[in-house]
Amino acid sequence: MSTSGQKRIESTIDTAIDCDEDEVMELAMQAGELLLENGAEIFRVEETMDRICRHYGVESASQFILMNYILATAGEGHGHVFAKVRHIPVNGSHLDKVAAVNQLSREIAEGKYTVSEAYQALETIRRMPDKRKSVLILASGVASGAFCCLFGGNLMDCLAAAIAGFLIYVYILYISGPHLSKIVGNVGGGAFVTLVCNLLYMAGIGDHLNLMIIGSMMPLVPGVAFTIAIRDAADGDYISGTVRMIDALLVFICIAIGVGMGIAVLNPLTGGAAL
Amino acid sequence: MMIQIIAAVIATVGFSVLFGVPSKYYPYCGVIGGAGWLVYLIALEHFSTAGASLAATMVVIFLSRLAAVRKKCPVTIFLIAGIFPLVPGAGVYWTAYYIVTDQLRLAAETGYTAVKVAVAIVLGIVFIFELPQGLFVRLAGNK
Repeated sequence: MSTSGQKRIESTIDTAIDCDEDEVMELAMQAGELLLENGAEIFRVEETMDRICRHYGVESASQFILMNYILATAGEGHGHVFAKVRHIPVNGSHLDKVAAVNQLSREIAEGKYTVSEAYQALETIRRMPDKRKSVLILASGVASGAFCCLFGGNLMDCLAAAIAGFLIYVYILYISGPHLSKIVGNVGGGAFVTLVCNLLYMAGIGDHLNLMIIGSMMPLVPGVAFTIAIRDAADGDYISGTVRMIDALLVFICIAIGVGMGIAVLNPLTGGAAL
Repeated sequence: MMIQIIAAVIATVGFSVLFGVPSKYYPYCGVIGGAGWLVYLIALEHFSTAGASLAATMVVIFLSRLAAVRKKCPVTIFLIAGIFPLVPGAGVYWTAYYIVTDQLRLAAETGYTAVKVAVAIVLGIVFIFELPQGLFVRLAGNK
């Protein structure tokens, strides 16, 4: 170890625990990975990784974060250098995990964890159970019904939208999520919603076909991507902001195409009910 | 109007569940979503759709930041669900609908409005995030 390295450790030894640089970097990367894949903003990932590195005394750490990549390096001069690139598939939003990692990083900064304890805490967060599928489906139905009411539907419309909302989430969870690409999944989702609402309408449930469709297509709408894109762009993370915004726009357009196709095909059958 | 606010609260909580918000924060999300829609409805009497969306977004973000400081957790948790009723999903639907039914003038009009609403939401988010963090710390501390 170089003399400057020793000096650095001496100067930080009263505030930080001296520990293996690589382990600290790996810890920071895992924390960043958990945040990024569960829908956190770029700036939060950067801040958390920075906080962890600084606390454990790795002053030379620097990281570069894109929408689905983390690049981190540590070390200076001719000594040992830590460098790692990791690709992170974004798997939807689990804000409970984001909140938990955020809380953990605060507690690390307060000095409540050693490195190995922090590893265990991260592992616990990673294994946090997802919400049960039945709960998600129920929530989707209730939210769809409420949205239908929000846009002016009556009680029967809301009921129909709720039924379609249940079914669309079943579709998302079991068909489009695991098996279809984003584009096909969303075009299919839009068409599926239109089809279900038309069937309900023909069965005499609901009076305003348009409002029923609007309510029940809301679970497809990319609100998270849209909001995080704005946050990233506002923080100056233009690349991630742009990519996420394109992602959101693409999904919007796909839903519109799906709904449009549904209406075009089904309108003659329902005698122009939506007109 | 009361029914609409209640619907907004239920819709917001519903989406909080879908996005995996920790369950102890559901009440906050609901209140923020309801408050946003209340402001939207009031503002709609005086301003355009885009103007009302701007006002509502600003209120949603302000309350979200306040809740985030008070509960010491990421602001995303509160704002995503709260902002959902304002995202122009209906605008997208009507645009698609008018295009399919060959009413291109109306399609352009609703599409343009949807874009304006989206821009209003962007501005609302950017403006309120520009306010200094200290302000929210003080407000949350005084409560």
